[in-house]
Amino acid sequence: MAISGSEREAFEKQLEAYVGLDIGLEDIGKDRVNAAMVRHWCEAMGDSCGAYTDPALAAESVHGELVAPPTMLQAWILGGVGMASDESDPRDKQKELHRIFDAHGFSGVVATNTEQEYTRYLKMGDEIRARTVIEEISEQKATGLGIGYFINTRTTFRDQNDTEVGWLTFRVLKFEIAEVPVAAETAETGAPSRPQRLRPAMAHDNQWWWECVDKGELAIQRCSGCEALRHPPRPMCGECQSSEWDFVFSTGQGTVHSYVVIRHPEVPGYTYPLVVAVVDLEEGTRFVSNVVDVDPGDVEIGMAVQATIELVDDEMKLPVFRPA
Amino acid sequence: MSGNSLFYKEVSVGDELPILPIDLTSSLIVAGAVASRDYTPVHHDKEAAKAAGMQDIFMNILTTNGLVSRFVTDWAGIDARVTHVSIKLGTPNLPGDTMTLTGAVSDKDDATSAVTVDVTGKNAWGNHVTGTVTLSLPAGG
Amino acid sequence: MPTTLKDQAAIVGIGETEYSKNSGRSELSLASEACRAAIKDAGLTPADIDGMTTFTMDTSDEIEVARAVGVGDLTFYSRTPHGGGAAIGVMHQAVMAVATGSAKAVLVYRALNGRSGARYSEGVSGGPTTSDLIHWSWYMPSGLMTPASWVAMVTQRYMHETGCTSRDLAEVCLAQREHAVKNPRAFFYQKPLTLEEHQAARAIVEPLRLYDCCQETDGGSACVVVSPEMARDLPNPPAMIRSVAQAAGAHQESMTSFYRPTLTDLPEVDLVARQCWEMSGLGPEDIDAAVIYDAFSSIVLWQLESYGFCKKGQAADFIRDGALRLDGRLPTNTHGGQLSEAYVHGMNGVNEGVRLIRGTSSSQPAKNEHVLVTAGVGVPTSGMILGQI
Repeated sequence: MAISGSEREAFEKQLEAYVGLDIGLEDIGKDRVNAAMVRHWCEAMGDSCGAYTDPALAAESVHGELVAPPTMLQAWILGGVGMASDESDPRDKQKELHRIFDAHGFSGVVATNTEQEYTRYLKMGDEIRARTVIEEISEQKATGLGIGYFINTRTTFRDQNDTEVGWLTFRVLKFEIAEVPVAAETAETGAPSRPQRLRPAMAHDNQWWWECVDKGELAIQRCSGCEALRHPPRPMCGECQSSEWDFVFSTGQGTVHSYVVIRHPEVPGYTYPLVVAVVDLEEGTRFVSNVVDVDPGDVEIGMAVQATIELVDDEMKLPVFRPA
Repeated sequence: MSGNSLFYKEVSVGDELPILPIDLTSSLIVAGAVASRDYTPVHHDKEAAKAAGMQDIFMNILTTNGLVSRFVTDWAGIDARVTHVSIKLGTPNLPGDTMTLTGAVSDKDDATSAVTVDVTGKNAWGNHVTGTVTLSLPAGG
Repeated sequence: MPTTLKDQAAIVGIGETEYSKNSGRSELSLASEACRAAIKDAGLTPADIDGMTTFTMDTSDEIEVARAVGVGDLTFYSRTPHGGGAAIGVMHQAVMAVATGSAKAVLVYRALNGRSGARYSEGVSGGPTTSDLIHWSWYMPSGLMTPASWVAMVTQRYMHETGCTSRDLAEVCLAQREHAVKNPRAFFYQKPLTLEEHQAARAIVEPLRLYDCCQETDGGSACVVVSPEMARDLPNPPAMIRSVAQAAGAHQESMTSFYRPTLTDLPEVDLVARQCWEMSGLGPEDIDAAVIYDAFSSIVLWQLESYGFCKKGQAADFIRDGALRLDGRLPTNTHGGQLSEAYVHGMNGVNEGVRLIRGTSSSQPAKNEHVLVTAGVGVPTSGMILGQI
């Protein structure tokens, strides 16, 4: 539970003191901009742009000589293996600020945005240094991850002539971790990393229907008393009150009665935009499912569709429709 | 890549970039972290990543930036100059997944021959990255 | 014992918390604050309250709220299901309790951290295997999991059948935003909306766009219902409850009644409307202003038809020339509604209905003899007519 009342006021007061502060350290590149580090970068990224690695092509280009990839800017001043240790420079105001958040329960951290501006491309031999300022701390926000605060920092990069070559900003969320993340749970169970669709809840009244789907059939419940078809399944016939029933298999042929194109929110396991339709099956009942392999703009009411039963993730089968 | 480049006048708002799927291997994630000198443990040490609530190591932001930049310059060519990148980060890039980069030209500025490209990098869990890249192109004769 | 609920009870106090996106406190805290404010507004003390009622979806138990607020003995308590459909269902419960003598003063409340806590926009999943969960199970595998997606399904068919367009839906949003701009409680206070902005906003679930969807809000609303005799001795002008009704219809599902012969039929809303008119002896022509449940813009149109303000399929024509605006035929959702004030599951609409009767709305129409207040659509639903004493 997030802190409140006077405790929150005191905490936010403490935060205010950090806004506008230089973090107290200058990051100085250990190596000049050089062809070897550029080549390692380009190999990792699969970037074959000649301006970075081919002196002849670079010379003919607008760059006139070999240059470093612009997005590599921060790489010139990062700490390397030293970053893997827990020790940090006691003068580092940014780390100090993060520890204050941790101590008040906002121990989660995630970078949400970054913006970079490149005044010029770096050339071989450039010497890069950078200073970072804590620009802004937001008011408390409710986010998808939990309650927290956004911290904005700005790092300005300069060369050997003390001329600015670019800057970058980071927006980081410090948040209260609400519960065990789903990802951690799946790590324990060894579940696949590919997200799966939500499973239907199974019980006596519907389990048989899903078992039919697993066997490749789209079933429709039929009253044994009056032979009325009904969907979704239920234990008693609303027409004649009979509790006896069996089922028939649908041909899967139908027409779109109505449909939607879902764009938000995007739930892992589903592909968006996601088309879902209410379909009039030729047997007279309706069935709701996806229409696939179609441009959402081409779906229309009255369109003929055909159901097939297929895997929609690693394990779950579902009848889905395609234009007939 | 050849020296061929797009000219500013050849580009129109709405133009789509060739789609670029990236296989997310442990090798790529580690290589990107090392090439950017980012040795934060969650990008190379699975146990550290698990302790941080993830099931495996995940891609660092510099690598995402590098891939986004590559995606745009693969299309624009050697004479493009990237001047600005602004991205929003979403679901992490984990080994075994695929990130598909898509993009389209959203703006042109005649005064500076600059074009803005909207970029989305999507993996199985949703959008890993969304944002814009601004680059200046040769005006062309 | 009365044989009708007409004029058997009145709303004498209303209260609410601040509406925000992050309350920073518990739902019980919100409920307690709204209840305390409603009791104070009524000119009563907690000890006067002997009945309480809320939604099944509310997480704050009656007895928890009672202890927090200082309410003592209770002789009536109940819950009403089906989300927003309960908004006037709880009023129906309160009126029945007062009319039958089961309680003298009933506190009605609803409080939720709808933005910082569980968000309805994130969809349904998980939970124990109840008949309710099996119901949602028919839609989870295909990804039809949010209120916006269920309402969009009916909206698409309605647009197909009537020729209503997204620009017609926009008029609902624009009229209500015009009201919210003047309401300091509203999320969109002093923030106008244009047709162009509505049309340019991203689609949530086509055909619904961003501003067709209601807010997600942290907040609570409450009111106090007593007998007309008791109301006469209290400080505020009472809002008399001329009629109040609940209904579920044939082939009813909660939000997904996709299997009715005519998908766009809302027999439950028709049935609430019929009861409201019959009980009160009034008709649509007698209504001066309305609070019409608006989780989504399209459902306002359907209710205008069910309550008989216009013919079936003609709501877009009815509102096109500004009928919902302050100087229109039926000033509607004068607080901005759930699209533009706050989403408190319809209970903030009850309070606005009372303000309209009192003459204290921030968008107050000149004539306020009778006000219609309705509850959720696509679910078992409810409605009431308020009037002057």
